[in-house]
Amino acid sequence: MASATIKEIRNRIRSIDSTRQITRAMELVASSKLKKAQMRIEASRPYFRIIYGTLQDIMRKNSDGSLPYLAPVNPDGKAAYIVIAGDRGLAGGYNSNILRSAQSHIEGKNACVLPIGKRAKEFFENRKADIMSLGCQEAERVSVGDCFTVANQLCADFRNGAISSLSLMYTEFVSVLSQKCSEICLLPLKREEGISDKLDILYEPSPEETFEAMIPEYVGGVLYGALCESRASEHAARRSAMDTATQNAEEMIDSLSLKYNQARQAAITQEITEIVAGSRQ
Amino acid sequence: MTAFPLTIVTPDGVQFDGQAEQLIVRTVSGDMGVLAGHENIVCPLGMGQAVIISNGEKRTAACIGGILTVLGGNVRLVPTTFEWADQIDLPRAEDAGRRARQQMNAASDSAQLRLAEARLKRALVRESVARAYGRK
Repeated sequence: MASATIKEIRNRIRSIDSTRQITRAMELVASSKLKKAQMRIEASRPYFRIIYGTLQDIMRKNSDGSLPYLAPVNPDGKAAYIVIAGDRGLAGGYNSNILRSAQSHIEGKNACVLPIGKRAKEFFENRKADIMSLGCQEAERVSVGDCFTVANQLCADFRNGAISSLSLMYTEFVSVLSQKCSEICLLPLKREEGISDKLDILYEPSPEETFEAMIPEYVGGVLYGALCESRASEHAARRSAMDTATQNAEEMIDSLSLKYNQARQAAITQEITEIVAGSRQ
Repeated sequence: MTAFPLTIVTPDGVQFDGQAEQLIVRTVSGDMGVLAGHENIVCPLGMGQAVIISNGEKRTAACIGGILTVLGGNVRLVPTTFEWADQIDLPRAEDAGRRARQQMNAASDSAQLRLAEARLKRALVRESVARAYGRK
């Protein structure tokens, strides 16, 4: 009986050890991807800042309501949501957090969803949500160009009244240890209060045309930025989930090793007792 | 020639940050040249070749979409894609052009046609910039 438990414990230790090796490897992969994703976030920020600043400048100078995109063409149109999640699981609460928060926003509304990431696509398909498909399903493979194609399409939909608003749901990368589900309302555009700078600026060909041409760039830029943030968040979430898993595995191995040694010692003691008892007779 | 500070920023990061003497870009209303002391201007970019002369050296690039801003003498070029002529992936551009042509022929509605047209245009801009630079 004793030898059976010893063998069982040894097998468990071995299997936990191989799981630990896998989680450790996944953690290392996630950290190296995280580093790259963080660099990409940094790189994409100035672009967004300049585009957004210029848009706000134009809006502040043209407050007579002649600019498009500030109000929906058709207020009864659908509310469109872009939801960014991951392609794979094993990333802690990353996928479920963002999908649950998206679902609570969308529920009961006249809404359609553009899911990015395999998990998001499966989630909304299962719930029979109204899905717009623009051909980007794998979050890892969406390029800058794809973002701008999608943005152009959505802006055209907004102009012809097919959608009445456009929101973006993604996971904001606050730090390596903390990620937050966020929602940005992209369209209709909101004017930020502030004082217009005194500089005289020439808009070529005209402020309105410049504004119109810039909106898809803005939407595409924000979308790409959010995608970078989401990817970084996914890697960070996976890294910490795998770190915890590795630690748990180590703890389990420690406690099992203790049990194993105890069982081994008990078996030896028993054997000795039996031999001693046998020699007396 | 007098130089001015020029920054070129795309969503992929900063492509150029330094002094330049001259910049020529294709805007939506045609080619525009910028020299030091240009007035404040904001204009959306079209698709075409950008020429940057910096330290007397001329460099060309494919520059697509985005905006050009000149504010208080600082010139910022903010395109969606910007590729230096010597870094363009020519076979990929040719491939993309071929695929776009096929998509145009197969397009069933105007939205698809527009998308394919835009793709073809981008591919042609890249190709022509790379060839003008002397690559084969």
